[in-house]
Amino acid sequence: MLLQMEGITKSYGNVTANRNVSFNLRKGEIHALVGENGAGKTTLMRILYGMESQTSGEIKLGGKPVSFGSPTDAIRHGIGMVHQHFMLFPSFTVAENIVIGREPSRAIGFDRKAAAEETTRLAKRFGMPVDPWKRVGECSLGVQQRVEILKVLYQGAEIIILDEPTGVLTPIEVKELLAAIKELARQGKSFILISHKLGEIMEVADRITVLRDGEVTGTVNASDTGEEQLSRMMVGRELVQLGRSAAALGEKVLEAKGLTVRGSKTKPLLDGVSLNVKAGEIVGIAGISGNGQSELLQVLAGLLQPDEGTVELSGQDVTGASVQRIRGAGLAHIPEDRYLWGVSKEADVTENGIMGHTGRLSKNGILRRGKARSMVAEWVERFGVKTGSLDTKAQHLSGGNLQKLIVARELAQQSPFLIAAEPTRGVDVGAMEIIHAELLSKRDRQGAILLVSSELTEVLKLSDRILVMFEGRIAGELTAEEATEEKISLLMAGGKAVG
Amino acid sequence: MDKLGNWIKPLLQPLLALAAGLAVGAVAILIVGGSVTETYAEMWKGAFGNFYFITNTLARATPIILIGLGVALAFRAGFFNMGSEGQMVLGALSAAITAIHLPGPGWLKLIGAIVAGMLAGGIWSAFAGWLDAKYRMNLLITTLLLNYIATYFAGYIVTYPLKDTTGSAAMAQTVMLDKSAWLPKLFQGYSLHAGFLLAMLGTILLYLFMKHTVKGYEIRMLGGNPLFASYGGVQRGKLMFLSMFVSGGLAGLAGSVEVLGTQYRYLDGALTSPGYAWSGIMATLLAGSNPIGTAVAAILIAALQTGGMGMERNTDVPLEVSSIIQSVLILFVSAKLTYSFIKRKKAGAKNGPAV
Repeated sequence: MLLQMEGITKSYGNVTANRNVSFNLRKGEIHALVGENGAGKTTLMRILYGMESQTSGEIKLGGKPVSFGSPTDAIRHGIGMVHQHFMLFPSFTVAENIVIGREPSRAIGFDRKAAAEETTRLAKRFGMPVDPWKRVGECSLGVQQRVEILKVLYQGAEIIILDEPTGVLTPIEVKELLAAIKELARQGKSFILISHKLGEIMEVADRITVLRDGEVTGTVNASDTGEEQLSRMMVGRELVQLGRSAAALGEKVLEAKGLTVRGSKTKPLLDGVSLNVKAGEIVGIAGISGNGQSELLQVLAGLLQPDEGTVELSGQDVTGASVQRIRGAGLAHIPEDRYLWGVSKEADVTENGIMGHTGRLSKNGILRRGKARSMVAEWVERFGVKTGSLDTKAQHLSGGNLQKLIVARELAQQSPFLIAAEPTRGVDVGAMEIIHAELLSKRDRQGAILLVSSELTEVLKLSDRILVMFEGRIAGELTAEEATEEKISLLMAGGKAVG
Repeated sequence: MDKLGNWIKPLLQPLLALAAGLAVGAVAILIVGGSVTETYAEMWKGAFGNFYFITNTLARATPIILIGLGVALAFRAGFFNMGSEGQMVLGALSAAITAIHLPGPGWLKLIGAIVAGMLAGGIWSAFAGWLDAKYRMNLLITTLLLNYIATYFAGYIVTYPLKDTTGSAAMAQTVMLDKSAWLPKLFQGYSLHAGFLLAMLGTILLYLFMKHTVKGYEIRMLGGNPLFASYGGVQRGKLMFLSMFVSGGLAGLAGSVEVLGTQYRYLDGALTSPGYAWSGIMATLLAGSNPIGTAVAAILIAALQTGGMGMERNTDVPLEVSSIIQSVLILFVSAKLTYSFIKRKKAGAKNGPAV
């Protein structure tokens, strides 16, 4: 056994993040760690990586007890971690990012050429091609991920922890990453893979350990289990399969015509996009991120002025109108990037919850705090937001729990039109189920929803109609019946629809 | 537990800063050959030793509190209002002119003067906001530079057109206000005047405003994450005007009560040389823009200043030791400020709070 974590318990005050958790890893194994948000996966890995110390329990490496005071310590013992949010310097080259901290040197100073050679050698050996001279900021997210992995390999990692590695990748990049992981495991590296995506886990993992509420609910061989069993172990109950009934279509709620945003590049960011969403319909937008989806959403939400085109919401012309007016006309908006747009990290759960609701929660400009608190408390209960209290600052909530709060806040608007951008990004299976059910039920109550997601499965599962965006344009439209993952992928990559 | 933590936490850093300040001050005292305990005892006496000193300290704290409140409001909304000095000076000048020239009974002159002072400060401050909204001129820079325009303009007014020619002293000042328009002293024979009550009232009102009104909520959200605020439909432009106007209005009020309660005239330099505005900004930063904390910090800073004078009267330790303590406080504050500034830069946010 390469690594053993035995009886790990970690308490923060009276909150226990890990309770008597045991976890082990064999050489050359891919061991997935799954569980809902707040189940304690990240805490366990932070302990292993020396970012936190356990309250009790023991870590053994190759049979010998070890304790790491810092990540540097962990790295020295051959443990590397690739974080969910990349920790790279965008203005440095790939090679510079990889060798950072242990730069090859020549007489005096940094030997750039040696660094590049070293990078190429590593890339070749592990089958992860990169251009050592390219600036990281100019690389795609998939390549950046590769750089992160090469960095820990360069540091001599034998055990690599990957935290939600596929969250930001395109389907093709995911396939490449999974293949690379398998190859590395074949060469003797060991992986701990934290992920929400059971499909990917089933594809690559040898063994799977499930955490629930800080405790291990089981460790199983991937060959002996399936997604359903894993979901049950994570959530502790059966998941309901959502049935989709076709709702009756109503009037057009949103109608956008010829939206164009030029931006500073030669190619427009958004190029003559027209679309409509009717009452009782979910329109999904698929596409590799960066193909105009963000700009489209921002224009529709009033956060960006279009250079050309018109937007009509509930029969009112809201082109270039203020957010306040558009929201008044009937918009609710689950934003794409929750930290950038969706919350104020310094503010507490209640304050983040009442944004956009202050009109209903006030009298003569005075906030009715009691009413606000009970409204937010109800959401917290219904969506299972894990928070210390309503006064906890948003920055102390995990990303998934914050997302649940945002979704609850926007659904509570009861608006005719909802933009749902990446509504379940970073959210666990249980919460995903709740959010999907809520979106469908809003649709069934004659709501009009524009869904944007980089998860093809999500788009396919929820949408009545699917638009695919490529380079700022709508590259194609498919009905729910005719849409398949293959057809969409092809359109996403700029190909023409076939059949 | 959570509640208690909420009360203690904002106090922790100012107290730590004060402790560090006193420690460094102690070293300075030792270097100049004084006795630490004796010096600090004299300092305490000079600030809070008896009723006279206490009221004296509170009187000095009055403009500092009001300015601090104004700065706190702007900071909370994410706007760096560094123009308190100019806003205070224009407020003071307008209050003096109004009290001198407004016909009618004393109470009318008094109220008219206060309103005029607040308006002048508010408009001067909102002007900087307008420059930002219209021409994208950086608020930090405009507010700072507008200080010079305001103080020199006021200096000119009392040196030439409105110079007091009645007295024998060739001072750059207006004539003295009619006694009926003076803010009453709170205790006969002591310097503390009714302006202190206004400052206390302002503290409570600002606290309630920030916590319990929709506008206060929007201001805090705008300061916390401007993108989140705009996403939620908060109108940045309007709120900037409002918060800058009220912020400057409070600075104008600070100047007004100094004129109406202490100087009884506008005397050039009487408000700028004690550094009320900068003390006010310091109080705000120390208290992390919390209104009640700002008032407490303002009294503390005033006490350091009055205490320093007491120390100089009764020991051989020079006044500068008090300045050293204040400098260490500033150092702490700026470390915190730089830290949050870097954090914001990293987050890529354009404006927002530093504290």
